[in-house]
Amino acid sequence: MSVLMAERLDRKSDGDYPDIHKHWDSIHGVYAARVLPGQYYVTNAKDEMISTVLGSCIAACIRDRVLNIGGLNHFMLPEGEGGMDGVAARYGTYAMEHLINDILKKGGKRQNLEIKIFGGGKIMKGITDIGAKNIRFIKQFLATEGLVAEAEDLGLEFSRKVNYFPSTGRVLVKRLRSLHLENIASEEAAYSRNLKQESVGNDIELFD
Amino acid sequence: MNILVVDDSAAMRNMIIRTIRQAGLGDHDIAQAEDGAVALEAIRKSVPDMILADWNMPNMTGIELLEAMNEEGIKTLFGFITTEATADMRAKASAGGAKFLISKPFSVESFEKVLGAVM
Repeated sequence: MSVLMAERLDRKSDGDYPDIHKHWDSIHGVYAARVLPGQYYVTNAKDEMISTVLGSCIAACIRDRVLNIGGLNHFMLPEGEGGMDGVAARYGTYAMEHLINDILKKGGKRQNLEIKIFGGGKIMKGITDIGAKNIRFIKQFLATEGLVAEAEDLGLEFSRKVNYFPSTGRVLVKRLRSLHLENIASEEAAYSRNLKQESVGNDIELFD
Repeated sequence: MNILVVDDSAAMRNMIIRTIRQAGLGDHDIAQAEDGAVALEAIRKSVPDMILADWNMPNMTGIELLEAMNEEGIKTLFGFITTEATADMRAKASAGGAKFLISKPFSVESFEKVLGAVM
């Protein structure tokens, strides 16, 4: 195996994102950073693609179109109040702020943001359409922020594989067949259970 | 009481204002500013009784706002509501004279506890 090949098998995780694993993707000729439910990742590397697999969750792909810095998040709203006043919307706003803040911290400007949104599929049987709730949130969030999604593929009875290229803004979305549904549903269910704790938020500090 | 909410996200400002009201503090006048620089201009004209500021904002961050107020001798109740809250940030906030720091995602209960303690 050549040195080049060995180097391309893996890339060290970014210090800011220690949980994001990257591997060389020979099909697209880039390093692929895999974002799992609840994670997000921002990069300015031209040779990186960000991948995630969505069921009822949402991924917002956001970049500064001038500096070519961007990233993607993967989140869902916690169970509970469905309105824009409760725990759910507070958590969603927090998830979006994390991603946008990191782009701005790397020099991005709010007025240069290019936004594409995906996911919110109805992948679970039952009356509650979690995906629809997530879609309602992201649309309302963008409207409040005065931001417009330039592309979207949302809802319907699909899960989706998303490959995002932040340096160009290109997104490849593959609607997945039911074969993959069980894995995605169980991954999202585990994420949803963790969210019940994480989303409550009670970290306060009073100074003397 | 006059409260000024400073955050570059309109959605987050709305969320903070709703949470203040849900925490039973709905009878106060609440104004908003989208970054530290806009807030400082407003504060120079009329000093609010309390400022709730994000940390990371374009033009002027929350800590820069607090430091600018200190330089100009403007004293009022100041607290941070922020996504990032490292030990270094907490130390800077405390050294600057901030009274509290609430980490996002926040809850109605966290607002009740903090605002109940400082008001």
